Amino acid sequence: MSSSTSWVTSRNPDANNIFAIAGVVVKEMYRRKDFYVLLVLIVLITLMLGSVSFFDDDRIVRYLKDACLLLIWLSSLVIAITTAARQIPAERESRTIYPLLAKPVGRGEFVAGKFLGCWVACGIALVGFYFFFGIMSASREHTLPFLVYFQAIWLHWMCLGIVVALVLLGSVVFAAPSSNATICFIVVLGIMFAGGHLNTLALQMRGFRGEVVYALYYAIPHLEWYDVRDFIIHNWGGSGLRLVTHNIDWLVWVGASIYAALYTGMLLGCTWLVFQRRTMTL
Amino acid sequence: MIKWVVIFLFVCCMALATVLDPEFRRLHNRDNSSGGALAALMGDSRLLFAHEFFAMADAYFHSGFYPTIFDRQKPGTESDLKEESHDKSEDAKDHEEETSFLGAPKDWIDRFGRHFYPTVHTHLHGGDEREMLPWLQLSADLDPQAIDAYVTASYWLRTSLNKPGEAEHFLRQGQLANPDSFEIQLELGRIYLNNYSNAFVARNILLQARQKWRKQDAAGAKPDPHTYEAILGEIVRADRALGNLKQQLADMEELLKVAHIKENLQRQIAELKAKLAEPTP
Repeated sequence: MSSSTSWVTSRNPDANNIFAIAGVVVKEMYRRKDFYVLLVLIVLITLMLGSVSFFDDDRIVRYLKDACLLLIWLSSLVIAITTAARQIPAERESRTIYPLLAKPVGRGEFVAGKFLGCWVACGIALVGFYFFFGIMSASREHTLPFLVYFQAIWLHWMCLGIVVALVLLGSVVFAAPSSNATICFIVVLGIMFAGGHLNTLALQMRGFRGEVVYALYYAIPHLEWYDVRDFIIHNWGGSGLRLVTHNIDWLVWVGASIYAALYTGMLLGCTWLVFQRRTMTL
Repeated sequence: MIKWVVIFLFVCCMALATVLDPEFRRLHNRDNSSGGALAALMGDSRLLFAHEFFAMADAYFHSGFYPTIFDRQKPGTESDLKEESHDKSEDAKDHEEETSFLGAPKDWIDRFGRHFYPTVHTHLHGGDEREMLPWLQLSADLDPQAIDAYVTASYWLRTSLNKPGEAEHFLRQGQLANPDSFEIQLELGRIYLNNYSNAFVARNILLQARQKWRKQDAAGAKPDPHTYEAILGEIVRADRALGNLKQQLADMEELLKVAHIKENLQRQIAELKAKLAEPTP
């Protein structure tokens, strides 16, 4: 009994530390102007595109949803990568990491807190972006396929979880935040564009090269799964506030969430391992 | 002193601009109506984007079920969007159940990943075809010589969306950029024949289309023979609507020379000849 009590008392502060660090990251996001600027840009570009009339038909909406969702995806990636890339280097540069780690804050808690903060910040940004998207879409189509939107936002957020974890790992491997952000951008966009087709390419290659590409196909995080824009743009989820049969299978949705959680955990574990071996000298 | 120098330089720049601007316009042919600001900004890259936007329209037609550059397509297959807009027969159109370009899943990741994008071959219907139009408009704006964009947009505007006026306006724009296009002329004739029920004007437009096709054929440009058959078919329909039996017979005999399915046409010609042979009361 006494041992379990001591375990609880020793773990509780850990969670508090993580939440405290995460809270600082979230506060930093809404102090910085990135999110607001990107939101205003999305709104302006979407409204500008919406004002264009094609063949005097005001019921055309899919191109607008397409453009708006593309902007949302790009903006969310910008926020996720730039926010996560500067966390650890900025703490080192301003030397605030030393008093932080001198307090009873473990390096694992530090990484977990930074990840949680960045991930929650991305989630808040996503809610803002999709809120505008929902208003724009509903005002044109007069329907709101609620379940499909919920699934899409959730999958988007899970994808950003992997991206944030990947960038945090990059921030302890690469020297500068700019190089880390650039490399992560290229990797993430590359996976989203070609990741799902590496098996096709591997089958076209013969011999060892093909096997290497196939191994890479299994090894990379399949971020392209989480991009379900086509379902939203082309109304595959049906319409109206009702349970629809064409949304993504819930089991598949849960499976994708577990895959993302495992990948995120693995990347954070690697970050922690690398970060633990780093010497912190003034 | 420096203030006057700056003002002097500014006036010189303005004066030079008024002299040089027309020269540069002439040099880059920017005042040509077919190019405009987009041509000046994007150069030849706009043709690439025009093609991409037409492919986007095709992807929208299939509600996102569309091959990527990594997916292998059967060689020689034309896009469904083009096939539909060329008024092919129902049999040719009925391919929604055809084998998917995706093939069987290659592995578990592929199988699982197919839950996250459309994997069912469907076509837009019930007025949703309007969603393709922005891409077709953009395609035509970027490449005014992209005749397929004009013809395809016009087909959907005049059929599903019942907007023959918009279709005609768009085709007229295409005609300005492509004065020798018999495809645009044929589509215009169809609007007058089917939507405006003005067979007289339709026939004249279709005759122009036939003339343009023959001109290209004579020049050795190898124009599409199916389109020629379609032009002659529409001319016969216009004759029928006008009630000009002699002209109809002449046009049907011309159509018979190039028609792929001759039996039905031969029977119609025989019936028409019998009708013409009947003594008038």
